[in-house]
Amino acid sequence: MPPPPVAWTPVALAADLQPGAAAGVVVDGAEVAIWRDTAGTPHAWEDRCPHRGMKLSFGFVRGERLACLYHGWEYDGGGQCRYIPAHPDLDVPASICVNRYSAADAAGLLWVASGTGSGDLPDPGDPLSPLRSLFIDAPLGEVLNRLAADGLPGLGPVVESAEDGPLLNFDQAGHRFVVGRHPTGPSGTALHILLKGEVSAEARAAMIPATAELRRLAEAGR
Amino acid sequence: MRSIVSLEFVGRFDPQSFAAFAAHRAERLSLDHLVVSGAQERTVIRLEGPDPLIDAFEMALSLGPADCLVRDVRRLENGAQS
Repeated sequence: MPPPPVAWTPVALAADLQPGAAAGVVVDGAEVAIWRDTAGTPHAWEDRCPHRGMKLSFGFVRGERLACLYHGWEYDGGGQCRYIPAHPDLDVPASICVNRYSAADAAGLLWVASGTGSGDLPDPGDPLSPLRSLFIDAPLGEVLNRLAADGLPGLGPVVESAEDGPLLNFDQAGHRFVVGRHPTGPSGTALHILLKGEVSAEARAAMIPATAELRRLAEAGR
Repeated sequence: MRSIVSLEFVGRFDPQSFAAFAAHRAERLSLDHLVVSGAQERTVIRLEGPDPLIDAFEMALSLGPADCLVRDVRRLENGAQS
């Protein structure tokens, strides 16, 4: 399986991955397990247990370790297997470890990269309010062109839009939208949408139908 | 406890594929291994390491790789070291 890109890619809203939780994401075809230990530190690993190939994103966080759902093998934050329940007295060899990637929190998003990551992580300065992640069966380029030109359907004209590395910013309906661009594959896109400033839960909820309409139109190619 | 074990795999093999798979799993489990003989119907692999990891190796090899079929696994010898 290919690793994720060397450049930092936003893969989730930071608020959607709580401490003690694990989830699976796909980054340019690479399957990645993201998880936070109970202290909140993010981790990104190849989504495959070295034992039997089970997806580690189905596993459970146990303190500072991630335990595979299948046979309970536990891996520490460095990806090293530390405990095999079927052989509790075994001194686990160092060769039993998970392929790790870089993970970081920035701009209300969780970012993943191979190696140490290339490029700077964005620092928007102002607080950001998470809106939602949106998964679309359409190529990233097509979705971004549509979003930059028309914004979210039904919310009025886009006043201004600009790309900022892996982020797309645009103004619409009196709000500044910040969108993390996440290619899941050649024909798949994930958008992680935030709003600049403190935006009430009611106002954010009112925008959700527009995001669903964006997905419908993008997948229909209209 | 560390042991020296020879495992005989009987079935239908692509010898190169099976040897490569065995090498990968042995490296992952930190086992010393030697493919003593590799043929299309029988492969013998000598292993040295902790018993639980030899058991894990046997389980892994009995299920793969995809282009090989293991019908039976036998232990030819077993020498406990410590």
